[in-house]
Amino acid sequence: MSIFHNIKAHFADVLYIWRHEMVKVVKDEGVLMFLVIVPLGYPLLYSWIYNNETIHEVPVVVVDQSHSALSRQFIHDCDASQDVDVKYYAEDLDEARSLVSRQLVKGIYLIPADFATTISRGEQGTISVYCDMSLMLAYKAIYQTAMVESARLGAGINIKKAGNYTKREDAITAQPLAVDEVAMFNPSGGYGSCVLPAVLMLILQQALALGIGMAAGTARERHRNGQLIPDDDPHFNNAYRIVWGKALCYGMMGAVAAAWLSMAVPRMFSFPQLADGWTLLWMLLPYTIASIFFGMTVSCLVRYRENVMLIMVFVSLPLLFLTGVSWPQSSIPGAWQGVSWLFPSTFGARAFIRINSMGASFDQVFPEIRILWIQAAAYLGMACLVYRHQFRLARKWASK
Amino acid sequence: MKYLSQILDIALRELGIIVRKNQIYGFCMFVFPLALVLFFTTMLDDGLPQDLPIGVVDHDNSTTSRGLIRNLDAMQSSRVVYRFASITEARNAMQEGKVYAYLYIPEGTAAKLLAGRQPKISYYYTMTCLAAGSMASKDLKTLGMLGSMAVGRAKLSAKGATSRQIRAALQPVSIDAHMIANPHGSYNYSLTTVFVPGILMLFMALLSAYSIGMEMKFDTGKDWLARANGNMVVAIIGKYLIHALAFLFVIFLYQYYIFCVLNFPHLGGVWSIVRLSLLQVAASLGFGIFAFGLMPSLRMSMSISSLWFVLGISMCGSAFPVMGMDAPLQAMSWLFPLRHYWMLYQTTVLNGFPVIDVWFHLVALVAFTLLPWFVLHKVKNAIQNYVYIP
Repeated sequence: MSIFHNIKAHFADVLYIWRHEMVKVVKDEGVLMFLVIVPLGYPLLYSWIYNNETIHEVPVVVVDQSHSALSRQFIHDCDASQDVDVKYYAEDLDEARSLVSRQLVKGIYLIPADFATTISRGEQGTISVYCDMSLMLAYKAIYQTAMVESARLGAGINIKKAGNYTKREDAITAQPLAVDEVAMFNPSGGYGSCVLPAVLMLILQQALALGIGMAAGTARERHRNGQLIPDDDPHFNNAYRIVWGKALCYGMMGAVAAAWLSMAVPRMFSFPQLADGWTLLWMLLPYTIASIFFGMTVSCLVRYRENVMLIMVFVSLPLLFLTGVSWPQSSIPGAWQGVSWLFPSTFGARAFIRINSMGASFDQVFPEIRILWIQAAAYLGMACLVYRHQFRLARKWASK
Repeated sequence: MKYLSQILDIALRELGIIVRKNQIYGFCMFVFPLALVLFFTTMLDDGLPQDLPIGVVDHDNSTTSRGLIRNLDAMQSSRVVYRFASITEARNAMQEGKVYAYLYIPEGTAAKLLAGRQPKISYYYTMTCLAAGSMASKDLKTLGMLGSMAVGRAKLSAKGATSRQIRAALQPVSIDAHMIANPHGSYNYSLTTVFVPGILMLFMALLSAYSIGMEMKFDTGKDWLARANGNMVVAIIGKYLIHALAFLFVIFLYQYYIFCVLNFPHLGGVWSIVRLSLLQVAASLGFGIFAFGLMPSLRMSMSISSLWFVLGISMCGSAFPVMGMDAPLQAMSWLFPLRHYWMLYQTTVLNGFPVIDVWFHLVALVAFTLLPWFVLHKVKNAIQNYVYIP
């Protein structure tokens, strides 16, 4: 047989398997759900949940025992701030506590009876803030508003005492050293803008792994010997051709999902989008390839197709943590950093956040992209190995 | 008596399946949950992000600027690891993921500060990781305050003021923060306690749908029903008795570890924890059986359960509060068992408030437990008549 003929047969087999797999995917509603509906629909739901980004007007209760002009000014200022809403006044701490217990407020401002007197005497007045710690965002809103407003109140007192002549002098009395605070790349500190880019990348990997795993499970169940590779079809005669053919099929699905997740969804919900098109392409290419071969490798390890769901669902939340979006990368313990190197999502999400939210250039994410290519190659090798093993198993069963 | 012996018979049969036939039960009931507990508790062991890498651009090079940098470095969550020559260099490092924030001190800061001309320092931090960004911003606020106070303090102490007088003069109004039940603001306390139960509930629902589905798949369901003499209530109680006991065991193990070994706050006491665990197990199993009854197909019921419970981790509102979501989502949050679990957890266990204040969440969990009642006949019909199609 000539080389030319060989190559032709090779391509014919690959294309045949591609088509064969495609038909199987479209006919299996379980697979279709994970390869099409989940990547298309799930991100929309998540984006909707986090679409409001920040919380405003967190309800608090005030226990004002001072009843002074100063205490009233503090309460006014807090109520006027965008993060806190003074919803109730309570007589004492117990009453306020019962409002927290009934979930009507998230925190308590207690202004003691001697508040104004102490300040008038030239001593330090104290306002107590009690926070319900179940919601970190609510705690931050309540605490930071109290900090800002108490500093403003204090500055006002100091300005009065200083007896300055000009506004400029007042400003310097209030703050001798000015601090310019610049939050970058997600200026409002929005929750969605922060978490969602990582979630989107994770959905891509998990959906591909689930879809591929389900398809492999179905193939096993339809097979008379419970094998992954059909033994009655002459086109399935070579493990490498099977890997290539299947990868082409899933690659089609992955490409559509990747484009949708990385470009359409952030635009629809106006999340930060500073990505340069080519950089994005160069990052998504190895990421999608690595995810597909990762999925194919995992799919060979499961006996029943439902089991792949149990495993992938189990790892999804830890994987989100390992990307360093909920918990800073520098604080992840070394052992878990090591584990995170096994999964494409770790580097895919990190690179995507930096390209998309921070406008990083190709050079700036090159280390991640290099690792993604290494993962793609490694998982390709693994996929070939496990498929060759499956191929031999199928042959052994067939000859029995 | 007849029912009891039937339940025992079915429970023993289920035990045989779990122990001998299918290892995935062992993995989902013991290995995965324990791995998760280990993962989250070791991952968040610090409680708060500490020593975040931070850069400085110091164009002033004075004692004052070096003092500021030293102060920043000494703070718990910041560590100065880079000194950049320019802002551009610093921004590049941020985009490369090397630093979370950088401090810019322009030339002449110290001179202006002494001359009373209000110099301005700038602090840039990235909010692409909220935990890191908010810690950096907190340190910055303290740093700015310290910087401002340094001048006044020197002046006042030269005049002979006592430290009490200085404190009152620099900060007339102070805030005394009481962070109830989580005095350090630990993320471990707030994240582990919702993610671990959330995924446990997911496993419970998935496995309860899975175990009926497998009866159908391998056509063993008729034997199961025959042992209960066709009584669905007996069949279900018998089948899920083992599941409930196994999961309760794991949940108590987890709770012993976090509450007694790691000393997580629990102002509510033991009874509130036990009550919540019982409700948690019952509601999750109920949801899984209901999902199977709605769509008597192994793969569909499992897919629905897993998608629903994974969504629940966001919808429970522990990270992004439900009150911040759109109104339709606020209403929808009632449909997620984890939402009710978490509300009960944070009021009765974490804060130790009376359960009567959140009775509707308790009722909701009971309602999830009773959901299978509506689909009993559908499940029975599926087991008796449906043929599994791969």
